[in-house]
Order: sequence, then structure tokens, then C-alpha cells
Amino acid sequence: MSFDQLNLRLCRLGATALIVLFVASCAPPRVVVSTPPSKPIPSPPPAEEPPETSREPDPRAVASLELNQQARLLLEKGRIDDAISLLERAMTLNPMDGKNYYYLAEAWLAKGDTSQAHEFNRLAEMYLADDPEWVVKTVQQRKRINEAFR
Amino acid sequence: MGDGLLRGLWKLLLVVVAMGTLVAVLGGVIYCRHLSTEIEERFSARRWHIPSQVFSDSLMLYPGQRINRRLLENALHRLRYRVVAHEPMNKGEMHIAPEQIEIFLHDLKVLSRTRSGFAVKILFSGNTIKSMFRRDSGKSLALLELEPEEIMLFFGQEREKRQLVSLDQLPEYFMHAVLAAEDHRFFDHHGFDVRGIFRAFLANLREGRISQGGSTITQQLAKSYFLTPQRTFRRKFKELLMALTIEAMYDKNEILEIYLNEIYLGQKGSVAINGVGEASYFYFGKPVSDLTLAEAAVIGGLIIGPNLYSPYKDMGQCLKRRDIVLRSMQQQNWISQESLAKALKEPVKTIGETDYGKKAPYFVDYLSGQLGTLYSPEALSSLGLSIYTTLDTLVQEAAETALEKGLARLESRNSEVYGLMKPDKRLQGAVVVLQPKTGHILALVGGRHYSLSQFNRVTQARRQPGSAFKPLIFASGLDIFTPASMLSNAPKSYRVEGELWTPQNYEKLSQTWVSMRDALTRSINRATVDLAMKTGLDRIVRAAEAFEFSTPFRPLPSVALGAFEVIPLELARAYCAFASDGLLANPLSMKAVVDEKGKVLERRHMTVERVISPAKSFILSSMLRSAVETGTARSLKDLGIHFPVAGKTGTTNEYRDAWFVGYTPDILALVWVGFDDGSSVHAPGSAAALPIWAELMKAIPQHISGKWFHVPPGVTTRTICLQSGQLAVRGACPDHKEEFFLVDNVPDKNCRIHRGRSPFNYIFRRFEGVF
Repeated sequence: MSFDQLNLRLCRLGATALIVLFVASCAPPRVVVSTPPSKPIPSPPPAEEPPETSREPDPRAVASLELNQQARLLLEKGRIDDAISLLERAMTLNPMDGKNYYYLAEAWLAKGDTSQAHEFNRLAEMYLADDPEWVVKTVQQRKRINEAFR
Repeated sequence: MGDGLLRGLWKLLLVVVAMGTLVAVLGGVIYCRHLSTEIEERFSARRWHIPSQVFSDSLMLYPGQRINRRLLENALHRLRYRVVAHEPMNKGEMHIAPEQIEIFLHDLKVLSRTRSGFAVKILFSGNTIKSMFRRDSGKSLALLELEPEEIMLFFGQEREKRQLVSLDQLPEYFMHAVLAAEDHRFFDHHGFDVRGIFRAFLANLREGRISQGGSTITQQLAKSYFLTPQRTFRRKFKELLMALTIEAMYDKNEILEIYLNEIYLGQKGSVAINGVGEASYFYFGKPVSDLTLAEAAVIGGLIIGPNLYSPYKDMGQCLKRRDIVLRSMQQQNWISQESLAKALKEPVKTIGETDYGKKAPYFVDYLSGQLGTLYSPEALSSLGLSIYTTLDTLVQEAAETALEKGLARLESRNSEVYGLMKPDKRLQGAVVVLQPKTGHILALVGGRHYSLSQFNRVTQARRQPGSAFKPLIFASGLDIFTPASMLSNAPKSYRVEGELWTPQNYEKLSQTWVSMRDALTRSINRATVDLAMKTGLDRIVRAAEAFEFSTPFRPLPSVALGAFEVIPLELARAYCAFASDGLLANPLSMKAVVDEKGKVLERRHMTVERVISPAKSFILSSMLRSAVETGTARSLKDLGIHFPVAGKTGTTNEYRDAWFVGYTPDILALVWVGFDDGSSVHAPGSAAALPIWAELMKAIPQHISGKWFHVPPGVTTRTICLQSGQLAVRGACPDHKEEFFLVDNVPDKNCRIHRGRSPFNYIFRRFEGVF
């Protein structure tokens, strides 16, 4: 190996090392340290509470589901106002259940109020985003609301 | 000649008498015809003015529900359930034990929902409903709806209360009790009974007092329906003719039905109890169809002297009169000897006297204002409408109690400062509780003593919100800034309407820069004004207007600190949007109006309108939760609130107003404390209003799920340096934390303060010249 070749290799090695160093220093910062803060710091609270260890179903969710089912029967019978009243109750018992919003959107659509139907459909989409089956339903519902609006 | 003259005179006299009789008969016929027109007009038109009733929302119970037992039992008492020592056997009875409540439910009729009463057993474990099941079938119940409570009646000038009944709703022995007491020959005479008058005359003579009336039921009806109570010969004569006319026009059953709905049967405060339907509820808390024979005899016996023989006035007289009626029924062979003996032994158990006072009076006033646009006062006092509302009587009771206790506590603590206030100048307060998603008003307390002041401080007062207004400033600031953005806490003066204004912090703070989250958490005035100025005052005013305040805001720096007066209900409504994914619901007090026949005339549902994005409302709620966990509202924890809450205190200059608005995904409550004349409360929102909020929430566990908000789309997290508010650098930033950001407003710069301390950056900078 000539001196020039050795020099070239050393240069390449040095350049590679520099590139590695550069890339490393440009990498997105990752924080793993857990230095205790020097003063009380208002940290953002957790987004949601940790899941309860108990396997008992949430009583409010159960009651909400019961009302939801009653409301669906009323919707099928065409008793739209009665259904909305029950769904409003169901919603207040379990505000996280997107199905209540889905059926509220259905009810308002049946009443011909596409503006309210649209708002409830948006909520349904938001709260049912993790359920592929319901995602399809809410998208289809949105299309129906848009068609009704036209 | 003499005989001829006499005969002539005699003939003339006969002619005169005949003519006179003819004229009298003709006159009588014409008068009766006139009376029949009057009677027909009255009977074919609306016979009675029935006051409209206002009902609370119905209460839903379900297994697993945590509920305040004391408030639940109070509600059951108000629903006229009678406590019995044994297993409830009849509708309207309940048995209360430490770990269970057994209720024989009344029939339920709410809008289109009807349900026959049945016996239910509710088992408790502490304050949690363990299970519920029907006693007859043993079937467990997933939900149980209790009847709505009557909270007010719209009385007209006559202030009469009645519930109409038809004859087919009445047990036969009930009709017999009335006939035995008043007119046992009713089905045999034609409106006037000479034998009855003679019998009554003899009986009264024998007893030396008026114990029996001679008037028939038809005469009594004519008297009470068409005539004045004056005792004149002319009126008595008219009564007689009217009775005869009524008998000629209507059949006996129809007359009896009108009579039973018309008669006066007692007094409840200033309200007259009319008709057997209402009397049955007033005295025994149940429909006439459920009355026992002895109870029917009590009501029958009351007709002659409702206040003399009332079981509420004189039980001894009531019993004597009841027994007379029962014996009379037996004499007429309407009941057997055995039934008589059994009924005579039965004690008179009344439901207990209560007044028709308004419950939740400020709420009802607010409701009345809304109803006034739909119905005239005359219609409300006569059409017998049923008005269903959003009021939750358990929450209302909890709110009233918490406010009164909280104000009394403040008064005792500051007795020297407040001095001896006149009752109408005392410390005041207001509470409104809403379901944030629906806008339903669950409770509304517009002041301390409705009897002293009907001014509704929730819906009519305009007060400076102070720091309680800040969340609206921060919500509009989120378009440009993030919770990690640094705001200036340096003293600075602003020109407001030609004068210099220098906002001051409530507490001394040495930091020159504070994060946006910290500024809201600790309610830092200077940083908030800095945020407002950087956001743009016009933008802030436009954003605040989107929340539909009736206040005309102006783009002044002081708007940031809540200098513009707002109506408390409007402020509470604005907070609802933060608690409901950015949707602004209309505050709703009325749910439906139903007519006497059950036809729904009006129906109100929640209506929503988007004012901010779900992502922004989530981030704002997160910042307001910090205020509760570590900021100005952290004392909530010491007061026993251990579930996640977003909240903001508010205090205005000189402590004129003390506020606390707090919410969860399930419920929102606003508390205001202050003096009507603007005197100082001498306490901030955290000391004056917040404890009332805490006490209220602890009393209504059924509305607390303990859950926090779902993270909506459009929110992301990053680790930031607390000193710079920029992205934290690994191994370099000593104080850091996770922070929420809007996905389209995420910080993109590394911490400028600690970036230089990173080993990689150190090496990088050494080679900076090479590249």
C-alpha cells in the first residue's frame, strides 16, 4: 500500500467518522435522563387515567349501553325525538362512547338537520377511530349526511 | 146584582191568577232556558283552570352507581313515598334499611314512556348500588327510572289545584262514600230533594248544630259552579232552578263526575285543593283508585267541612266524621257489616302536609322566562300542561346546601370584616351546574334567599370574571403559541383609553419568563397580558365573541384579565365548550311540554356548535387540570377532590368577586361569591368559591366517573426543556417534561440554552469550521 493509498484510506476513515459524528449530533434529541427538577413544575397531567386493575365493567358504560340499545329500538320505530332524549342521557353517562354520537347523528339525519348530524358524526369519527368496523360506518354515515345536505 | 158582581170579581180574580201563573210559568221557562244556555256555555267550554306543572328530570339508577343515600332518600320523600316498617305492599310505600331500600313504585308517565308501579329492591354497598331487582319476578334491573318531581305549579288568580278523574277510575265504594256523606238519594231525585231537606233539618235540630246539609249534589254543584256564596233568598231560588235545569240537561253520572272534580276539599298553604283526584294525593299520596274504603270515607266526610274534618287539622273530628260516613254506607247496604267493622278499625295514615312552594325557585324563574315566549301566563295557569325540565333535584339540593354552608363559613370567618349586615345586604353567591356536552342545566342557585331577593345572580348579574376569563385568552392564544411557549412576566405598562395601566401579579414572582402552561396554572397576570398582546387583541375579542357572550368586548389589554363584566351562565357555557370537544351547547332548562292528553307540544334537544377544535379544547383542559393539580386551585385536593378536574379560580380587584369554575368530562359547575353592592369579599376565589365547588361535587358522586378526556386527533406530545420551552436535548436539559401540542404547531427548535452542553454538539462545533 502506497503512502497516497494509506492517506486516502485515512481520509476516508476520518470523513466517515466525521459524518457519523455529524449525523449523531443532528439526530433528534431523545431525553432519557430523569433529573429531578429543582422546583415544583406544573407538568401536563397524563392524557388518560391508567386502566383500572379491576375487571369489573364500568357501570356507567353499562348503563349507557343499555340506554343506547333502547334508543336504537326507538329509532327503528321512527320515534326519533324519544330516541334522541335517551341518547343524550346515554352520552352523559359515557361521553367516550362514540356509538352514542353515531346514533345521535342518525337521529338528526332522520329529522333532517344535517348540521347537527354532521357535528355528531365528527364526534363519532373521533371516538370510534380505533375500531375499523365503526370507522367504515362513520365514513359511510358522513357520505349520507353530505348527500342529504346537497 | 151583588151576586153577579161577586161572581164577576171572582172570575176576574181567576183570570188574573191564571194569567199570573201562566206568566210565572212562562217566565220560569224562559229563565230556565236562559240558565240552560249559561250552563251549556260553561260546561261545553273548559270547565276548570288546571295549573301547569313543572317537573324535574327523572332520576336514573343503575347497578354500580355511586349515589348520595341521604339525597336519594330525600328525593323519595319528595316523590311522596311513605316509609313503612314492613315490606312495601302498596304503590307509594318504601322500606329503608341500612343496606337496602325497597320501594313499591308509583306508576310512571313521562312523555311517551309509561310504566305500572312495581316493587323493587335496591341493595347497597356503602354508597354504591350493588344490585336492583323486581320483587315479583326476581328479575335484575339494569336501569331504573324514578318519576320526575313536581317542582312548581303555575297557579292563576284562583290558586286552585286539581287532578281530573273520571267515574270509571273510581272504586264503587268511593262513590258510595260521597253519596252516603252528601246525598244518598242522588240517583232518585231530580235535583231537589224535599225528604233530604226535612231529614237534614231534623238531624241538625237533634244535634243542635249544622251537621248535615239539605242541598243535593246537583244543588251544591250549581252553587259552587255558577253562584256566589251569599245566603240570599234570590240566590237560593236561582240555585234551585239551576239544579232542576242541570238535571234536565245532563245525566246523573255526568253530574256526579263534574261534582267530584269540582268540590273544594282542603287547603294547602294559599292553594285550594279541589276535586277528589287532587285530594286523594294531598291526604294519602296516591290515586283515588288505590284508596281503601276507610280512606274513601275520610274524603267523603271532608266535603261538608274540609278544614273542620281535615286529618291535618283535627284527627279526632276526622275519625268521627269518617265513622259516620262508614255507618251511613252500611245503612244503605252499600258495604257489609264485616267491611264496616274492618274499616272502623283502620287508622288514618296521611302522607304528611307539605307546601306547594317553588322548589329550585331561581331555576323555575329562568324556565318561566323561556316559557313566556311560548305560552301566556293565562295559558300556563289554566291548560294543565306538564313541563319537563333538565333539573336534577339531587344536584340542586347539593348545590343549595353547599352554597349556604360555604357562605355561612365565610361569614363566620370574616364576621368582623363583614360586620352586621342587613339580611338584604348579606354576602351572596350563585351556583350553576351543567352537563357540558348537552348544555342541560342540572342545578341553578341564583342567590342565597329567594324570599329576600329574587335577583338571579346566575342569569341576570353581570360581574367581572377576573382570572376566570383567562382560559378564553389562552384558547385563542393556542393558534400561535404552545403550552411550552415562553411569555414575559416583566413589569410593563400599557395604554388603556389614554391612561397607563400596569398589570400586577397576585403573588410576587421573580421569573422573567414563564411558560404558557405555567402562566395559566399559576394565573400570572403579566404573562397573560403579554400573551394577549402578542396574540392580538382584535383576534381575542373575535374569539371571545364566538362563545356568544352578550358582553360587548373591546380590544383593550385589560380584557385579558377579565375586566369586562359577564353573565355567569354565559361564562359557564363557554367553559362547557372546553369540556365537550370544542362544541358549544345551548344552556337548556326545558325538555318538553305535554298537554293534558299527553300530546307533546314542544320538545327541546341539545344543539351544538363548534367554536374551537377538539385538539385545542383538550390542550386547554390539560392546562386547567394543571391549575388544579399544582396551581391556584391545588387546595381542591386538600378538600377531598381526588379525581381529575380542570378548573380556574377568579378574583377581581379588591376581592369584589370570587369565582371558581371546574369541570370533568361529565359535569361542570361555576361558583360565584360576592356582594351585590360590590363590597369586598376579603377572600380570593380559591378560598371563597372553590370550597363550595368541592363540597358540591363530593355530594353528587353519581355525576363523577373519575375519567379524564380522550386525546383527540390533532394532539401530539414532545419532550421539552422547562427553561427554554424548546425541544429538550438528551442529556443536556436538566428540567424537562412531556408536553401536549397541536400537530400543526409543534416546536421545531432544540433547546437554545442547553444545546451547547451536548457532547455531540460540542464535537460538532469543533468541526463546524471544517465543513
